Amino acid sequence: MQTLGDHKLPHFFNYPPYFTLQPVRETREKQIQLWKELILDYCRTQKVFIIGLEEDFPLFSNPGIERSLNHEAREVFLSAIVLDGRAEWMDKSHRQCLILWHRIKDWADIILNFAKENGLEDSVMTVEEIRTGIESRGTDIHGMDRGVLMRALKLLENKGKLAIFKGSSTDDDGVKFSV
Amino acid sequence: MRRRPGIGGLQTAAAARDSYRLLGENVAKLRTDLMKEQLSTFRSQLEDFARKHKNDIRKNPAFRSQFHEMCAKVGVDPLASNKGFWAELLGIGDFYYELGVQIVDICLATRPINGGLINLEELCKILRQRRKGAREAVSEDDCLRAISKLKVLGSGFEVITVGKRKLVRSVPTELKKDHNEILELSQAQGFVTVEEVERRLSWTTGRATDALETLLDEGLAMIDDGHRDGKRRYWFPCVSSVSSFVASETL
Repeated sequence: MQTLGDHKLPHFFNYPPYFTLQPVRETREKQIQLWKELILDYCRTQKVFIIGLEEDFPLFSNPGIERSLNHEAREVFLSAIVLDGRAEWMDKSHRQCLILWHRIKDWADIILNFAKENGLEDSVMTVEEIRTGIESRGTDIHGMDRGVLMRALKLLENKGKLAIFKGSSTDDDGVKFSV
Repeated sequence: MRRRPGIGGLQTAAAARDSYRLLGENVAKLRTDLMKEQLSTFRSQLEDFARKHKNDIRKNPAFRSQFHEMCAKVGVDPLASNKGFWAELLGIGDFYYELGVQIVDICLATRPINGGLINLEELCKILRQRRKGAREAVSEDDCLRAISKLKVLGSGFEVITVGKRKLVRSVPTELKKDHNEILELSQAQGFVTVEEVERRLSWTTGRATDALETLLDEGLAMIDDGHRDGKRRYWFPCVSSVSSFVASETL
């Protein structure tokens, strides 16, 4: 099986017609399904949060078979993920797409568990520490998109699980857990 | 003067007829008895054989196929009924029913990818992957046998031969001769172009595009506009084996 980085690629990735949007509805549905799964899987294992449609995203082309997805196909596949609630367009012209391989509420749960497991109840951490600190190393949280993290933290704040307080710069923004 | 037939003569004639008939009946009975005896010997021999080689029949696909052949020659169908001696002895009926159910499953699951036409080889491959835990090895012959039993369901399960390959069809659509020829042509590379169809089969453009459009609509073909030469390629998952790759991951 071919790999991309350490990500295993499914075999359809080597089958040329999967790089052309299929005109027949049922075939296209299956095609979209397979691409959706591949994109989400890849983003999860490679910790990719933002896909730029005009950029060289590794999944958008397969040099081995000399095929790449055209703009329309890219947009169709990502739109399908958006429709599933697993991604969001970041601009009106659909140039960038934010991939939520965990939904915001799932991220919130993960952060909460992380706090419990590390005995961080009632402690204070900066947002940067959560993202890049030793505690989160080896978890999905490590290196996560700041925007996504902030949204998950706000959700937790609304639930009363923590308090966010502003620092002198965004780097100093902190949270106090009250799990 | 000629004697006219008397009572005595008639009686003699009747007695003779009777004894002839009796004799005849006896001979016939002897023959049937002998035949019955031979048959029962044969049956018990076949049973003995089956009993003796039970494990081989179960586990060795090649042996199983030969056993089937032998049974077919003498007019015994171990699959005819799930009751009775064969089923009890070999469980052979259950084996094929199980295969049949799994084959239907695979055909349905891969239909979105291959449009309901699957290479027999692929089918066996997926079947084997699915049955990893099962003791019995499965051969293509077994698949064919199981599929032939599915025919009674009338759901359109059929094995068709296209070129060198056997394809299992699980959709009721009838493939026309034109479509078969395209499928056969595609076996070389996995795809064809309109030009190629025109050239190789000496068809008009209209005939070629018509046939290809139909195959596309049936979900049997996929288009590929990505090649450098800019010519649209029509790929056939049922012949180019990607179906198993995709399917084995979704199953």
